[in-house]
Amino acid sequence: MASSRDDFIIAIRSAFLKKSTQQKFSLLTLVFISIFVIVLSNLNFKAIQILKTGINEVVYRSSFIVSIPENFIKNSYFSILEYSTFFNKYKENEKQLIQLKSSNISNEIIQYENEELKNLINDYVSSSDKILAKIIVDHESPFLKSVIINKGSNNKVKIGTNIFDQSYLVGRVVEVNFKTSRVLLLSDLNSNVPVTIAPQNIQAIMIGAGDDYGQIKYIKDGIFQKFDENSIVYTSGTGAIFKSGIPIGKVRQTENNLNVDFFSDFSQLKYVFAEVEVKMENQSPKKEIDDNSDQKNTAIETKIQILEEEKKIIEDSNLKFKEENENLKFQVNYLNTKISSIENEVLAQKEKIEQSTIDQEELEFLRLNLLYSNKCQTRKLFSTGFKVGTPEYKKCILNKGKIND
Amino acid sequence: MTKFKRKGSLLKIYSWIPIIFLFISVLNEFDFNYLNLKYFSFNFPFILIFFFTLKDFKHFDYFFVFIAGLFNDTVIGLPLGISSLSYILICIATAYIRNITIRPSPFKDWFYFLFIISLINSLNYSILTLFFSFNLDLTNYLINTFFTFSFYIVFVSVFKYYLRGIND
Repeated sequence: MASSRDDFIIAIRSAFLKKSTQQKFSLLTLVFISIFVIVLSNLNFKAIQILKTGINEVVYRSSFIVSIPENFIKNSYFSILEYSTFFNKYKENEKQLIQLKSSNISNEIIQYENEELKNLINDYVSSSDKILAKIIVDHESPFLKSVIINKGSNNKVKIGTNIFDQSYLVGRVVEVNFKTSRVLLLSDLNSNVPVTIAPQNIQAIMIGAGDDYGQIKYIKDGIFQKFDENSIVYTSGTGAIFKSGIPIGKVRQTENNLNVDFFSDFSQLKYVFAEVEVKMENQSPKKEIDDNSDQKNTAIETKIQILEEEKKIIEDSNLKFKEENENLKFQVNYLNTKISSIENEVLAQKEKIEQSTIDQEELEFLRLNLLYSNKCQTRKLFSTGFKVGTPEYKKCILNKGKIND
Repeated sequence: MTKFKRKGSLLKIYSWIPIIFLFISVLNEFDFNYLNLKYFSFNFPFILIFFFTLKDFKHFDYFFVFIAGLFNDTVIGLPLGISSLSYILICIATAYIRNITIRPSPFKDWFYFLFIISLINSLNYSILTLFFSFNLDLTNYLINTFFTFSFYIVFVSVFKYYLRGIND
């Protein structure tokens, strides 16, 4: 027993401490260095941060270069897939384009109204300085869902900067280097986003599922059934981590969960937009008085610009309303003509029906007349019949020869 | 392979191939995730490090393994040092098994590999969740361990050709 324990200790010592001929460091030294690095990387010393940023820059660039062959294969694979479904997608896109065009004008009006309302409450209006960024590293790790973009602190990207694919939210920046940044995708397990679900207008938190969808959490009990497939999830802006009103995805109900299917396909991201926010504070009336004339001119110019934009939008909408009005007028005229022709037809039909009823009554009278004319007709001086052609005679015939009712 | 012996520089390049592959794999992570095979993932560096530190440790510098770990952490976005520690732990395990083994058996190595990667993945998971408050899905770790274990035997058969080349 003692000898086997000795063997074990010898083997362990040998494994840890013995440096082989070609090894520069013993394993024990490297274990200690690893632990030291783990501890050190979590301390926020400036020197360590700079060193870390330097390593990140070099490694991200190297990773991008090394990934070129694999990315080529990957892109070729997706290109082939795209070509195979090209026509169907084109048809779908065409339909969507028509729908989007029609809703575009109303969206512009809403945007303008939103800006105006923000101005009224003396809030800030954030400019939409979106900068295009290329994804240089995207390994789609099953553990952590993140990508590296080629924009960093020199492009005013900060921790928390919102990242978009078109106008859809895809994530936020969690690590910034000088020329690169790491974006934590919404699908990551560590991603929590305060959201609003429309049209039910319910506030919730969306958590990444670690897969290609998100999950809705922290909603009231009993409102689970309120949602349907048309429910849209967008950012609520609570906590000021994400801007409000950015579309994320659509609700999909499962047996026990509410999942969110993202509008954007995170596996297909090549370029994204990083929104570098510049807060433009609205000036209070007091400040405006103190401002110099240049600033006043700028303010007036801005107002004029806004008014011109408003005018343009109103003109556009007016044009659209006019077109719709013309269409409606034409439709009303057409319908009126149709109604009058239908009325005429109905009158003609009624006349025909009346004539037919009269003809039937006449026919019935003639049939009965043949049978009962001898009973109803007067022939002798004191007989009880009636003179032919009188209403009494007709009544008698219709009563089948009965003179008294 | 006599050619290599004659041409020393070529042999040197040949002996560096595993380390080069290790760096390429940590920088690139060719795990075929874009094929959208649900849950499919495997850890190629684990296989590479385990095999070469077990069979050809003289040409496989531990220091480079440590550096490769740092690169892996940077690419994936884990706290620096986690992967280095994992890789070095594999090296320790292989050094131990090398010392205690008299008659090597591929089958034993395979199951020993399963034990080691399970242990290291558990350690990784524990450190990341307990000390760094990461939210991680344990299922992914289990499936990753399973596929890494399954692919080990496939890659080993390829690596053996390389070893035969360097030993001849």
